[in-house]
Amino acid sequence: MNMNPKLKVFSGFLFFLFFLSYNPLWSQSDPTGERRVTGTYAIKNATITTSPGNTISGATILIKNGLIEAVGTNVRIPNEAQIIDGDSLYIYPGFIDGASSAGVSKPADPERPSNFDPSNPPDENAGITPWRNVLDNFDFKNSQISDWRKSGFTVAQIIPDGGMLPGKAAVVVLGGNASTNILAQNTALNAKFRSVGGGRGAYPGTQLGIMAKFRDLYKNAEYSAQHQRLFASNSGLNRPEMNKTLQAFYPVIDKGIPIMFEVSNDLEIRRALSLQKENGFRLVLVGVTEADMVINEIKAANAQVLLSMKLPDDKITKAKTEDLSDEMKARTNRAKEAYENILKQAGLLEKAGIPFGFTSMGGKNSDLMKNLKLMVENGLSENGVLAALTTNPANILGISKFTGTIEKGKLANLVIFTEPIFSEEAHIKHVVADGYIFDYEIKTKKAGKGNGNGENGAVQIAGEWDYTSDTPAGSSDGLMSIKKEGDSYKGNITYSNPSGSGTATSEMKNISISGNSLTFSFEVAAGGMSLEVTVAGDINDDQFSGTMSLADFGSYPLNATKKPNQSKR
Amino acid sequence: MKKLKYILISFLMLAVMVANAQTPKGSVLIKNATVLTITNGTLEDTDVLVENGIIRRIGKNLTASNVETIDAKGKYLMPGIIDAHSHVALDAVNEATAPITSEVRMADVVDPYDVGLYRALAGGVTISHAMHGSANAIGGQNITLKHRYGSGNPEDLFMKEAPRTIKFALGENPTRVHGRGNGIQPRSRMGVEAVIRNGFNEAIQYKKSWDTYNTALKKKGATPVPPKFDTRIQTLVDILDGNIIIHCHSYRADEIYALINTCRDFGITNIVFSHVNEGFKVAPELAAYTMGASVFADWWAYKFEVYYSTAYNAAILTENGVITSINSDSGELIRHLYHEAGKAQRYGQLDDEQTLALITINPAKQLGIADKVGSIEEGKQADLVIFEGHPLSVYAIPQMTFVDGVKYFDINEDNNDMRLRVSATDIIEPIFLKEHDHRCMHGVDFFFTNFGRNLFDHTH
Repeated sequence: MNMNPKLKVFSGFLFFLFFLSYNPLWSQSDPTGERRVTGTYAIKNATITTSPGNTISGATILIKNGLIEAVGTNVRIPNEAQIIDGDSLYIYPGFIDGASSAGVSKPADPERPSNFDPSNPPDENAGITPWRNVLDNFDFKNSQISDWRKSGFTVAQIIPDGGMLPGKAAVVVLGGNASTNILAQNTALNAKFRSVGGGRGAYPGTQLGIMAKFRDLYKNAEYSAQHQRLFASNSGLNRPEMNKTLQAFYPVIDKGIPIMFEVSNDLEIRRALSLQKENGFRLVLVGVTEADMVINEIKAANAQVLLSMKLPDDKITKAKTEDLSDEMKARTNRAKEAYENILKQAGLLEKAGIPFGFTSMGGKNSDLMKNLKLMVENGLSENGVLAALTTNPANILGISKFTGTIEKGKLANLVIFTEPIFSEEAHIKHVVADGYIFDYEIKTKKAGKGNGNGENGAVQIAGEWDYTSDTPAGSSDGLMSIKKEGDSYKGNITYSNPSGSGTATSEMKNISISGNSLTFSFEVAAGGMSLEVTVAGDINDDQFSGTMSLADFGSYPLNATKKPNQSKR
Repeated sequence: MKKLKYILISFLMLAVMVANAQTPKGSVLIKNATVLTITNGTLEDTDVLVENGIIRRIGKNLTASNVETIDAKGKYLMPGIIDAHSHVALDAVNEATAPITSEVRMADVVDPYDVGLYRALAGGVTISHAMHGSANAIGGQNITLKHRYGSGNPEDLFMKEAPRTIKFALGENPTRVHGRGNGIQPRSRMGVEAVIRNGFNEAIQYKKSWDTYNTALKKKGATPVPPKFDTRIQTLVDILDGNIIIHCHSYRADEIYALINTCRDFGITNIVFSHVNEGFKVAPELAAYTMGASVFADWWAYKFEVYYSTAYNAAILTENGVITSINSDSGELIRHLYHEAGKAQRYGQLDDEQTLALITINPAKQLGIADKVGSIEEGKQADLVIFEGHPLSVYAIPQMTFVDGVKYFDINEDNNDMRLRVSATDIIEPIFLKEHDHRCMHGVDFFFTNFGRNLFDHTH
């Protein structure tokens, strides 16, 4: 464009004027009342771990408009800063989730065309949608986002849901609701060894077909890119066929982005590694378990690792063996060894020098700290945990330039504990994400005595409870009846039947009470599947307040009141 | 200079040895056994010396220092049993979504933790042919496994010297799955033949288009456009080029003969028929044009096309000069293939050597590995089984099983729990008798389980 330089300046000025008058940041009034008084905060006199292994005490962090402005023991606090007293607080860099499904929904299955041929389905019907952007099916306001933020996460790479090639990932900051919160999009091509429909619905139906289909797509993408290059620089050639599936591979072939392969065991890790070896792409393994069998192979391939933060149920550790036959005793012990081996995986990766991050996929935020502590008890260093939550995933995601540590100029992403992170009584009091402060109520555990609910200070949960829960589908209610049997509790819970009308009843499992906190789970049958619902919360007098979480759907408040005038038993 | 060359060569040798040293190789001296060599008669009171996985010497009064010696007096030593049709140690069996799936490879889904491998070793089986299922006219590429149980690396089980093989299937399975199940070709036996012929014709075109491209590439300054790449068709090209042995699931004589004709039309000679219950009707043709038939001893009537069957099948085929083997197709039968072979002897009066060949050298020939395994000969790989009692006796019990001279089964060290991998949560792990019915089964019924026929309603 050839423009008079003066005119150019003038139009730029006009644009500026326009911007000035319409940008809400500078507007005179804020009818919503949501605007912050200030974007400048100072957290004073805290113990700050700026990066794994580096801690300064009595230090101050100054945050300005989403960035860390200063950190240290000698920080001048400007007048406009809102001051948070950090005495006795412990600050860590905000956690980074290497791969998350939080807030991500599965796109609707496309209609099958009338001439549908299962042996040669359209890519979209075969779970092959590598052109999709996860952000198209992402809802930042989903409660899973706030759940994970509450556990200390400030950045997450979100992963699309779907078939063998569901789409491309994006990196978001778990900041305020006013922003899109997108840090980067199309950050990785996602792949998995699961097909749509899990069987014989359409090609590819099994891992056999998925491996073969992947190879062919990759090879054809290479040839397609070659064709496009030839066509661009030569005449007299047939035009290249534009194919969005193959084009979606181009940035992978150019090594601009990695493929993130979801894996569920060592054999799947080997399968992903063999595809990488054949084709030479950058590889991130997502959801790694059973790494001990393949550590050398992972190292040799220089693949990056996102370890599953999910651990198996620890029920085997409680299994009693005294009354068992020798055979069953031996089997139980082997299962225990297998369980302990899984707890060791993180430590083994650290020892092997593989800088792994974590993925929350398939895990529950309520289990996070418990699982991290188990990993530490089984060989992972505390600095190793912090690195896996901060610097390592920042490197794997390629975002360490602006987040992952507490340094001047980095995003103001912090997680603030009441005690050092691994101590028994540590609770998260604030999470700072993108410069926004999220406060969390610390429920101090009441001393056993004076609870008023039961004898000897123990909370008395036996009895009938009316509960209500709020889900996006609406409010629902039901009855929990709990009986004490010996040292343990048994119970049933009713709820509105998800597959039909009326109410359904399920057995309450794993009812456990510690202090005044109650946890249990139950199973709901819906659409041919069995969903596990876990409930956790605190009892005060005759009131229960907690949350119920459905593995992959999020967590919702659940409150209950004990029916009065029940005999104690 | 000469010295340098020598040093270089020795380094090279070292590299080769390291590359080959991936799977364990053992040395052992088995003494005073009755050696059933299969290819060279029975040798009484004979010693077999194994060095570094290879049978070095067969003879009397052999000695070796620093080698474990096993006294097998009164016991029988035979080559490791070879199962030419198995689905043990596979995470997936059927990519049952397309009539031709020649691009898929069973090597991709080998599960080295399958305790079925150990059970097979306990039955003296050292090699199994891990096959794709029979849902498709042209199924996937199979993998020949050596039962090196104990490694977590699937590749350690691959018999890398074995040639490539592929599964084909005729008759009711492909027509039921694709024709009746999905409303696509093949709906009939004619359709199965058409699918196979069309595949091969397409392969000829495909090969031509790539040959044209590759020739054009060699011209200076040429900018040819690459054709579409398709492993499925490329694999069919490899069959036409004689690089892959077909193992075809089949029952009826008419279909077997039809596929023989198809192969003759396309110049294919590397084909083995599997099951072949009506093979006895086309025995001369099988002898003349194929690498043989791999049959059941007495398993039939599990669907309409398998009613015309006989326990004399293996004997009739053998006497007609067909390379014949007896296979398991089952995680249960694989544990006593020597009994299955014994049935062929019981009905068909084959002699001991002919009978044992059904589960040793003959399946080795069908898998293209007879120069390496399948008999006790100097220079062959030391896959061996020691039996208490003659292996064709109903009282036979395998005592020890060796693969590459390494002992993987010993009846005296047979612990209760030989699993390599156990659940971290469940003491009793669930066993799935049938693949669980997820969504989208689309009326396709189940056609393979890895269990014995008498336990569950097995269908092939």
